[in-house]
Amino acid sequence: MNFSNLLTSLVDGLLIGVVYGIAAMGLNLIWGVMRVINLAHGVIIALGMFGVYLFFSTLGLNPYLALLLVAVLGLLLGVLIYFIVIARVINAPYLSTLLATFSINMIILGLGTAAFTTTPRDSGFSLGNVDLGPLTLQGTRLVAALVTILVTGALYYFLYRTRPGKYIRAVANNRAAAELMGIPSDRILALSFGIGTMLAAIAGGLIATFFSFTILSGDIYQQKSFVIGVLGGLGNPLGALLGGLILGVLEGILPLAMPNTWVPVIEFLLFIIILLVKPSGLLGGRQ
Amino acid sequence: MSILEIHNVESGYGEVQILWGASMNPQEGKLTCLVGGNGVGKTTTLRTIMGLNRAWKGHIIFDGKDITRTPAYAKADLGIVLVPEGRQLFTDMSVYENLEMGATNNRARAKFKENLERVYVMFPRLKERAAQKSGTLSGGEQQMVAVGRGLMADPRILMIDELSLGLAPVLTLQLFQTLRELRKQGLTILLVEQNVQMALAVADYGYVFAEGRTEMEGPARELIKNEHIRAAYLGL
Repeated sequence: MNFSNLLTSLVDGLLIGVVYGIAAMGLNLIWGVMRVINLAHGVIIALGMFGVYLFFSTLGLNPYLALLLVAVLGLLLGVLIYFIVIARVINAPYLSTLLATFSINMIILGLGTAAFTTTPRDSGFSLGNVDLGPLTLQGTRLVAALVTILVTGALYYFLYRTRPGKYIRAVANNRAAAELMGIPSDRILALSFGIGTMLAAIAGGLIATFFSFTILSGDIYQQKSFVIGVLGGLGNPLGALLGGLILGVLEGILPLAMPNTWVPVIEFLLFIIILLVKPSGLLGGRQ
Repeated sequence: MSILEIHNVESGYGEVQILWGASMNPQEGKLTCLVGGNGVGKTTTLRTIMGLNRAWKGHIIFDGKDITRTPAYAKADLGIVLVPEGRQLFTDMSVYENLEMGATNNRARAKFKENLERVYVMFPRLKERAAQKSGTLSGGEQQMVAVGRGLMADPRILMIDELSLGLAPVLTLQLFQTLRELRKQGLTILLVEQNVQMALAVADYGYVFAEGRTEMEGPARELIKNEHIRAAYLGL
């Protein structure tokens, strides 16, 4: 293994890692604001993949333009899911919300399998390679990482500088007090869930520009999101980005030293170790 | 004139009934206090007015309109504002952001700068600590944020649940002076307070609750001389 190979794998891992980070951020936001573990996260990532793929392959839309549409659709889908399902169980014990989101997952999976089968899809989209000194990077991954960073910045701006964003933080912090201030917490929770699923859809859409996938692919990314969430600290969006980077680097470097199948073993081992040693995650967070 | 009328309200939590017929009508521009022992339903009364607890029976009228079924978040728009027991700050947010969240309703947003200035004049400490996370403040400062946040809502009636709870005597005194000042400026206040003596000393009118009902009412200066109240609540 030469140096250039190692460097390429490392940077490649970082680029993919930030995209994982954005999926985890969505999961994280939903957990942080409403204490719901969203088991439908993965399948929405998969829907994001199909969204970009279908807009691109059937309508010939530019994938990044398609991504914009997918983001909006993801937001709307999330709001819809919130009002149809989540709002009814949000005050129930965790098991109810787990089962509810798991049911959403199964429903979408079933419909998706019927509609798209499980034959792997590949967008076949390419932006060529970018040479940076000893590095050769795929253009799609580079753009995906840039988009992610842009989206993260926008999310931060939204949460910390705008009124609706501050309402989300207020509701996450103390829902009863937010109601007293006249903040309609139900609508804010719907918005939060919508943004969470939007981030999942964006992550899926970006992944579809460089990996092949099926409707079942979301599961893997959902699991990665959990690992990342715990790694970085639940309830902390920046932690999600950090966790994503760590996971990405592992995925870039580990295959150089061992068979690919060992990567998840190491990842989940790390997951368990973090849970045992620092359950609040690397960047702390409450509880 | 009564700004708020509470008629024979019954309410509680789940199966447990706390209020068995609470009635009161705080007057506009006055400081009304609601006192009584532990568990007589003072907090429940405020929560039911706010709509955090549902009124099982009875009526709540605000400014001539029936608001018995109005949801909590719509109350701030009407000008009914609660400074809740235990402060309930947004502890992860800055002092300024807490005040900003207080000014969520339309009236309050139109008067944001004016009200912020007023709160900062009243509690200069909050201006100094504007950027600090509210959860890291001392108990007294947190209570100032809670009251300040309530004032930012531009209340037509400000309800305060246990102003002095857990505070040092000096701070309690200071906050009661603030209340008196607010009353002088014409704000309508409904105060629930465990410190009966202090409450009756600043209030215009008082209600005494027992077992979820209004047991006694009258001008505060008369209540404070009442034998029964002196024996039961003031330990005299």
